[in-house]
Amino acid sequence: MSAAPRPYTLVAELTYRCPLRCLYCSNPVDFHRSRDELSTSEWQRVFSEAAELGVMQLHLSGGEPVLRDDLAELIRHARSCDLYINLITGGTLLDEDKLRRFREVGLDHIQLSIQGAARESAETIAGVRSHEKKLEVARLIGKIGFPLTLNVVIHRLNIAEVPELIRIALELGANRLELANTQFYAWAAENRRALMPTREQYDRAEEIAREAIAKYRGTLEIAFVQNDYLTGEPKPCMGGWGRSYMCINPAGEVMPCHAAAVIPGLYFESVRDGALGKIWRDSPAMNAFRGDDWMIEPCRSCARKEIDFGGCRCQAFMLAGNAAEADPICRLSPHHGIVESMRNDFRDGDSLIYRDTKTSRRLTRGTAESQKL
Amino acid sequence: MTGDDAWRPRLAARARLKFDPIAGQEMLLFPEAALALNETGAAIVRLCDGARSIDEIVDQLSKKFSNNDRNALTREVSDFLDTIRARGLLQ
Repeated sequence: MSAAPRPYTLVAELTYRCPLRCLYCSNPVDFHRSRDELSTSEWQRVFSEAAELGVMQLHLSGGEPVLRDDLAELIRHARSCDLYINLITGGTLLDEDKLRRFREVGLDHIQLSIQGAARESAETIAGVRSHEKKLEVARLIGKIGFPLTLNVVIHRLNIAEVPELIRIALELGANRLELANTQFYAWAAENRRALMPTREQYDRAEEIAREAIAKYRGTLEIAFVQNDYLTGEPKPCMGGWGRSYMCINPAGEVMPCHAAAVIPGLYFESVRDGALGKIWRDSPAMNAFRGDDWMIEPCRSCARKEIDFGGCRCQAFMLAGNAAEADPICRLSPHHGIVESMRNDFRDGDSLIYRDTKTSRRLTRGTAESQKL
Repeated sequence: MTGDDAWRPRLAARARLKFDPIAGQEMLLFPEAALALNETGAAIVRLCDGARSIDEIVDQLSKKFSNNDRNALTREVSDFLDTIRARGLLQ
């Protein structure tokens, strides 16, 4: 065996299908091209191989993973591989029977998204009627005894609701609240001007979150995921490319993170074409930005290169046009001016772009089918 | 601090102990991370069943590890429980 790093976490995107139409969705803008989801037995094989490679944590994600009719079977198999299983869901398709069934077959934890504190704002973001059902499901999750993380993606349309969101998480008895400021990829990048908060809004929300983190320590864990455009601090993306984390999309393509398909020139091999361990270890895409041989200045000689790994490769491509550049979020990047201008480029009343199949087709019309090659 | 005689620590529902065959050590898993435990840490977690007090946990451990320095062991148990309690892993 070569000295490829050991993966600890697998995010399995079971499907791109979803009843919600969230403005910030992290699925690829061209998701409509994805066909032929992995079958039950293909996913089961993947979970077994992942556990053998050393994976401990499995996140079942989507789209909406509850749309998979075989979800209970997949959970049962993952548990037989002794994986710790987290279901990441919008919740609208859950009911008491399904929750009890998932508990029986070994699901460990549920991460439920809500889009805001009030029905009107939440449904403006989700694009469909959903808020009350989500709160009902959150209560069922508590009743059945699942540990619950409440996840809220934060942006200009709901950032003023942070105090109310904390109150809701406490009332629902959640163990953890993620106030996850929008990361500007995929659909969120399409809606960036509508979603970017002002400096004042962001600083206020951070201050409220910081106070609540201290106040509720031991009762409700609160995570405030930063907006890197506003902090100017590059994210140590995925803890380093191909280092401890892998994402497998609905078609079985193995990626270092769910956004990586945006980088041209990378071909992500599918688990249909070979063993997961071999793809993780040897595939050119998984090795493209491993370690630091790929780095150019200012990253190459930077004291922080083992801390932030030069930031996010996808963002480097999206903002600087080259995935091997320093992430322009970094003040040392020659392209940092782009980030400074985007920071102040917000506008109310821009038309909102909702994630759905029709819009996915419209936005990618005329682009190559084989974009990823 | 753990200085509560009535407290019967129990592992939080979202946390699970799992042996990692590759690294050969016990891991405490929860949704967003994992903690690698040494032998004592893993033994303490196994005793956090909601029925035993800190004193009783220390009793069990001193038998298991034939440890005569009860004060040192009590301190170690308290410090460890404080650490994982602060991360919301005990109830």
